[in-house]
Amino acid sequence: MPQLQLSFAILISRLIRKYILFRKLGGGSAAPGLYALKVDPNLISKLCRNFKKGVILISGTNGKTTTSRMVSTILETAGFKTIHNRTGSNLTRGIASVLLENASLSGKFEADFAIFETDEAVLPNAIKQTGPKFVLLTNLFRDQLDRFGEVDKIKRIWQDALLELDRESTVILNADDPAIAHLGHRLISKVFYFGLEDPQVGEKELFKFADTKYCGFCANPLDWEIVYISHLGKFKCPNCKNKRPEPQISATGINLLGIGGSNFKLSIYDKKQRINLKLPGLYNVYNGLAAAALANSINIDTNTTKAGLEKFKAVFGRVEQLFVNNKSIWMFLIKNPTGFNEVIRTIFESGKNNNLLIAINDKIADGKDVSWLWDVDFEKLKGSFNNLFVSGIRALDMALRLKYANVKNPNLVSENFIQTFEEAVKSTKEGEILFVLPTYTAMLEIRDYLTKKGIVQHFSKD
Amino acid sequence: MKFKICHLYADLMNTYGDDGNVITLVNRLKQRGIDVEVDQVSIGNKIDTKIYNLFFFGGGQDQQQINVSKDLAKVNGEKLKEAVKKGSAVLSICGGYQLLGHYYLPIDGKKLPGVGLLNVQTVGSKQRMIGNIVVNLNDQLFENIKNVYSSLDGYEIKQTLVGFENHSGQTFLSGIKPLGKVISGFGNNGDDKGEGAFEQKVFGCYLHGSLLPKNPHFADYLIYLGLKKDYNDVKLEPLDDTLEWQAHHTAIKRAKENK
Repeated sequence: MPQLQLSFAILISRLIRKYILFRKLGGGSAAPGLYALKVDPNLISKLCRNFKKGVILISGTNGKTTTSRMVSTILETAGFKTIHNRTGSNLTRGIASVLLENASLSGKFEADFAIFETDEAVLPNAIKQTGPKFVLLTNLFRDQLDRFGEVDKIKRIWQDALLELDRESTVILNADDPAIAHLGHRLISKVFYFGLEDPQVGEKELFKFADTKYCGFCANPLDWEIVYISHLGKFKCPNCKNKRPEPQISATGINLLGIGGSNFKLSIYDKKQRINLKLPGLYNVYNGLAAAALANSINIDTNTTKAGLEKFKAVFGRVEQLFVNNKSIWMFLIKNPTGFNEVIRTIFESGKNNNLLIAINDKIADGKDVSWLWDVDFEKLKGSFNNLFVSGIRALDMALRLKYANVKNPNLVSENFIQTFEEAVKSTKEGEILFVLPTYTAMLEIRDYLTKKGIVQHFSKD
Repeated sequence: MKFKICHLYADLMNTYGDDGNVITLVNRLKQRGIDVEVDQVSIGNKIDTKIYNLFFFGGGQDQQQINVSKDLAKVNGEKLKEAVKKGSAVLSICGGYQLLGHYYLPIDGKKLPGVGLLNVQTVGSKQRMIGNIVVNLNDQLFENIKNVYSSLDGYEIKQTLVGFENHSGQTFLSGIKPLGKVISGFGNNGDDKGEGAFEQKVFGCYLHGSLLPKNPHFADYLIYLGLKKDYNDVKLEPLDDTLEWQAHHTAIKRAKENK
């Protein structure tokens, strides 16, 4: 009987998905799962047993989408077949939908691996249901406090969930994030750490709104020798023995080239390999390194990892270059203070005399609370732009933030994102760059507009 | 003129964008040609009771709030009380507000003693009160705010406060007045329609957002009260707050739409 129930659930989901795609109601990435879960609430765990090589879960505040896609590219380069919740629909029903889409009616898969980018709050449940062979955690920053609650709370639920993993599983952790590194201590599973080893790209002091400043063991304030991003860096506790773990997989000799991308030397024990990433910013070096660490734990050789990472291009709306009327546009998704600060840093590395459009929405997927805008260092933007445009449902909050940061007066402040975008494109001269920084739902809105104009592809094909 | 702000436990109590309040005060003081300095006092430092016109105390995570509560219990709680007696004004938000009351009793932890500057107590609940909030200011308080300005000709001012709340603690007042009545949102405890509390120059509330950028009248009132410590009744010129009030209206609109 359980098999029949599962097959019926698969059938239902298939019909719903066909209907959605036929009627062009959306990407079809969540609804099929939602209904199939009603038919068979255990379908995720039943289906996840059927992967030859296992399930990979990737979570963390920033970089989970990009890292998942990088892992997928590396695995495919290595000749493995994978399935992946690509469109960032990373709640339980998104996971269910992608399983159902790829399963045969008897619940079998051609894929060797399933890669699931997993929402922070959903991770414990995803671990329980999917029984992952690999869990990769990128970092932990303040993000959507209206939905997740506190950063500490996420750490606690992760700790409990990871303790359930057995000897057969591997956990890959960011050594530079004291909150993430601390999760590795009591685990039964195998643990690998990745981290940066390049003081040149770091700073001496904690960033203003660093989230983890205290020792996970004794609650004493931690000391930092180097800080790379927010609270990521080389830390140690002056009170107990806790310090940043030695990473087995590290990045040295990092060069950041603004929108020109970045390169770094990947070191795995004594093996070294220079990697050229098309993606800009130090945060993408972290993403590439995390993906390489995961590939290493699957025994993929570094040449294949290099080939995979080097052909990797931007992810759906996260960071991408577009051309509208021959004007060069770079779009960066913004979600939280740390991500925003890093995007500002990257824009800076890309030279002056450019134009900037920021669009802030406050729907559920953006975070309903816009307080976080006050935790971003907009003061740094002073004097670095020709034209400035502000939009989104909370355009006025953003404009107000910029006023109090003494950044120049915007050319236009308007809730209408499409109109503002068109104005911004018009004001951009050839040879200049227009940086567009939308929150999640604003990004979807502009993608939709660009799709209709034929500038980008519909996202279900992404 | 000079204005000194003490940002209490700024490194620990800064989770919800509350720094926007300090940024706003500094900016508005500078616009009026008043010299401003901000000091930070954290665990292990002693509060100077004489020099500050205003103390700001923001919200933080549970563990940080516990550490701060312990530090306040040593000596800084008494120091803060002394400073208030000498004329300092205080703005506290969320976790800071809870610690200015008599105590905070979390749902799954030990009772945290508070400073007792505000006659309130807070108990943890299972429900998290999250969302946009609009408050109608206490009538007398609103009159006092209007009296801060040298002239209100051509200046828009509203009796509302707007913000975003995110708390599970329920705060109950004993014999003191709330800042105002909740028009939209939960407020102090989700039951009695009150939000925030005040006693003379000490204020507490649950409004993030940040609070002061979008509520310029309240920012000016705190500046006025802070200046009173060293100067005699300084009336303030209204600033160009067109953008501030527009953002205030957007927040009211979003609170209604998201009800």
